[in-house]
Amino acid sequence: MTTPTPRVGLAASADHIYATGLRNQWHPVVPSDFVAPGAMRKVTALGEQWLLFRRPDGALSMLADRCPHRGAPLSLGKHLGDRVACWYHGVEIETDGTVSSVPGLPGCNLEGKKLVTSLPVREIGGAILAYFGDEKHPDPAELTLPEPLTDPDVDAILCYAEWNGPWRFAVENLLDPMHGAFLHHESHTMYDGDTTAKFRIRETERGYFFEKTDQRGVNFDWVELCRTGVDWVDLTIPYPPSAGPGGPFGIVGMVCPVDENRTGVFFWRYRRVQGWQRDTWRFLYKTLIEERHWQVLEQDRVMLEAMPADADQRENLYQHDLGVVRLRRMYRAEAEAQASAS
Amino acid sequence: MTTTWPYLDIHQSRTHEPTPYEFKLAATLEEVFTKDGHELPDVIRGLNARQVHAPDGAPWTEESFRAEMNRLGA
Ligand code: FES
Ligand SMILES: [Fe+2]
Repeated sequence: MTTPTPRVGLAASADHIYATGLRNQWHPVVPSDFVAPGAMRKVTALGEQWLLFRRPDGALSMLADRCPHRGAPLSLGKHLGDRVACWYHGVEIETDGTVSSVPGLPGCNLEGKKLVTSLPVREIGGAILAYFGDEKHPDPAELTLPEPLTDPDVDAILCYAEWNGPWRFAVENLLDPMHGAFLHHESHTMYDGDTTAKFRIRETERGYFFEKTDQRGVNFDWVELCRTGVDWVDLTIPYPPSAGPGGPFGIVGMVCPVDENRTGVFFWRYRRVQGWQRDTWRFLYKTLIEERHWQVLEQDRVMLEAMPADADQRENLYQHDLGVVRLRRMYRAEAEAQASAS
Repeated sequence: MTTTWPYLDIHQSRTHEPTPYEFKLAATLEEVFTKDGHELPDVIRGLNARQVHAPDGAPWTEESFRAEMNRLGA
């Protein structure tokens, strides 16, 4: 399904970087509960194979899924608590990527060497984030987490889904608020609002807003792209009165470029609620609202998965697409810069 | 935990399938919020007026409602 993936730093092209995700920043990988304490899990991210490894005490590490001996996947190996043993010839790797033992040849000079790439990881709001640096930028970029996920007065619940399509299409969909009034017209939250609008871009320190000039708080009327070491979007959508106190709900959205054709989407639905209002919102969410939100998300998935792979090559854009155009230029320029620096 | 692609799970926040009581309480709460208001006294009055009571059959009080939401929404 995918072509072999040259590591950045080893002549990765701008096209490859653009297709599989920008380097030298953090990206979400999978929800935290995909890797139980004492378990490990194979994942693909940015077009490469990785092993998520969690010690019994909960500490998480992320290793390239490739044995330094002859390249067998470590994910087929054995969890030894604080290290993994490759199934093929038993070489043992510590959580920081160091070879701790070569059972077939004790004293072998591989022992003690850090031969497996290990990525810095953080966990936030129930998701695993990892820093994907290229060979020139192994140290993690400064990471400022989205405030809605760290503010104790805000309650956020993660929804994760896997879509068959390029990661860029998923981000572009978020920078395209106007689709709410059409694609989601039949939904419980986006039934209202004008189907014509004028938009503007408003630059900020950390990214930009793409917003309607003439309507706010009615539909999906604005979105902020934030680049704070990890790329994320913030937006709000009004709730109907049936959802109770607390006003609109917000979404923090992030995307994992799995490979050039697959994407993991992370949506934290959040609300500024405390006490009984928070508890009631969570109860309604679990019992009734989550499923309705899911149906809305499915409309996005169906549309994006049906888009032709060359959709962004043959378009006729208009004013509503300014947010998408800005996004593409930014990502494309960064991919070019990362390729030429390597 | 499934490892097959794609992961598409409608319910990710639940720990159990809601009971008939929970479904009824949630649906009634939505109606109360729509018709009666968003303040706690509105909610207590609205639930009791609709005869949707706590599991022990007693009418709701602010205390019992807070406690039940804390149990169900945590
Ligand atoms: S390939 Fe892993 S031990 Fe030989
Ligand atoms: Fe959408």
